[in-house]
Amino acid sequence: MLRRKVTVKYPLERLDVSNRFHGLLALPIDPETGIDRCIICFQCERICPDRCIHIEAEGKGKERVLTRFDIEMDKCCYCGYCVEVCPTEAIVFVPHYEASTYHRGRLLYDLQDLRRAAPKEPIARGIVGGGPR
Amino acid sequence: MALRTEELMLNMGPQHPSTHGVLRLIVTLDGENIVDVQPDIGYLHSSVEKMMEHRTYVQNVALVDRGMDYLIALNNEEVYCLAVERLAGIQPPERARYIRVIFSELNRIASHLVWLGTWAIDLGATTVFLWCFREREMILDLFEKVTGGRLHHVYFRIGGVYADLPEGWVEECGAFLDYFLPRVDEYDKLLTENPIFLARTRGVGKISRADVIAMGASGPVGRASGVAYDVRKAAPYEVYDRMEFEVPVLEEGDCFARYLVRLAEMRQAVRIIRQALRDLPGGEIRTRVPMTMKAPRGEAYVHTESPRGDLGIHIVSDGAETPYRVKIRAPSFSNLYALTEMMKGWKVADVIAILGSIDIVLSDVDR
Repeated sequence: MLRRKVTVKYPLERLDVSNRFHGLLALPIDPETGIDRCIICFQCERICPDRCIHIEAEGKGKERVLTRFDIEMDKCCYCGYCVEVCPTEAIVFVPHYEASTYHRGRLLYDLQDLRRAAPKEPIARGIVGGGPR
Repeated sequence: MALRTEELMLNMGPQHPSTHGVLRLIVTLDGENIVDVQPDIGYLHSSVEKMMEHRTYVQNVALVDRGMDYLIALNNEEVYCLAVERLAGIQPPERARYIRVIFSELNRIASHLVWLGTWAIDLGATTVFLWCFREREMILDLFEKVTGGRLHHVYFRIGGVYADLPEGWVEECGAFLDYFLPRVDEYDKLLTENPIFLARTRGVGKISRADVIAMGASGPVGRASGVAYDVRKAAPYEVYDRMEFEVPVLEEGDCFARYLVRLAEMRQAVRIIRQALRDLPGGEIRTRVPMTMKAPRGEAYVHTESPRGDLGIHIVSDGAETPYRVKIRAPSFSNLYALTEMMKGWKVADVIAILGSIDIVLSDVDR
């Protein structure tokens, strides 16, 4: 009865999440190249159980550039398969989890949104180091 | 001249706080007495069996999490992975099998805590609800540290588990078990000798052993009526054959017996997890299975002991990347059909007590 209250005043303070937490998805910028690490292999698009990732690219060979990388976050089930299959750790989970908006359209995250969502400092890249892939 | 009385049909649900989902009960009443109860299901049908035919074997792990019983995601993943592994002849490594046992037993405790808390609050005991959810939160935190999810994990993979346990997790889990076991005694003290609780549950909603077998009810509902059947003992999967544990069986078949069986199961689950943590071998956690795996032509049926009962998955493969047909044998579905027998002759006020005691989750009933 005399113990400290355990209630967390949610919008003002937040609980820490684990470093494996399945939060929102992001495409972090590689500090060396100044661009994301995506090599346009389409593996995440193919593995997604909800088919919520849409990728388009232009050009050939080394000139190939990403023109579209959309994630429909309203469909996403946060299973983490895209993070698991990505060979370059281009797509990662971030600890941020508050995605609610007033408009459904805002849940369609495009390339700019996903790059902006990535934190500046290094973060846990999904679940790694889990034995053989 | 005698007064004319007639039977009253009462709709309970589909939106009722104590149905734990959306269930409509058509209760026929004679005054206060229940003459008949017909459950009307289908409000939470998610067509998961059909959806699984359109997704690959690997993708389906994400689907069984939420399409089936959402409170026991890890037990669902376990039975699905075991079925695919049997179909494709994949042998997961030792360490992964121990980790799976640890997680499915933790999930069993979490599920029983939700049941105990919500049932107790249905019967008017608010304290138990708060205490149960406090402990459940700790289990969810343990899950989050390993799987990244709290309810839907997608942690088990065909041929193992996704990630190894982080450093210090085993000790943390052991500390939680040491903390948790005395808490079970606390719930015991709050309820088992509570006269109000006893009056509402002891002798209420009886079902005989023969009826339980006839209805196909399993799990704690069956074991409370004297059916000493637990898949973990009868057909051991994973590493349950190496674990020492008892299967609590009672003869009474009433709500109180079902409560006692689940309480004892929580204690046994702690015992199993302790053994698994102690014997946890090192080594690999995952056999190499391609993300685009194809299962050979054939079929496989695997059943496991989920917190609600005998949970089975039957997969038919035509050799493609996706299953040809998946059939889920949901324990809640069979348990729900024992409800009519349990309710006959009781008062309308007992509906909630009896319905809560069978621990149904409607997404498991409807699938």
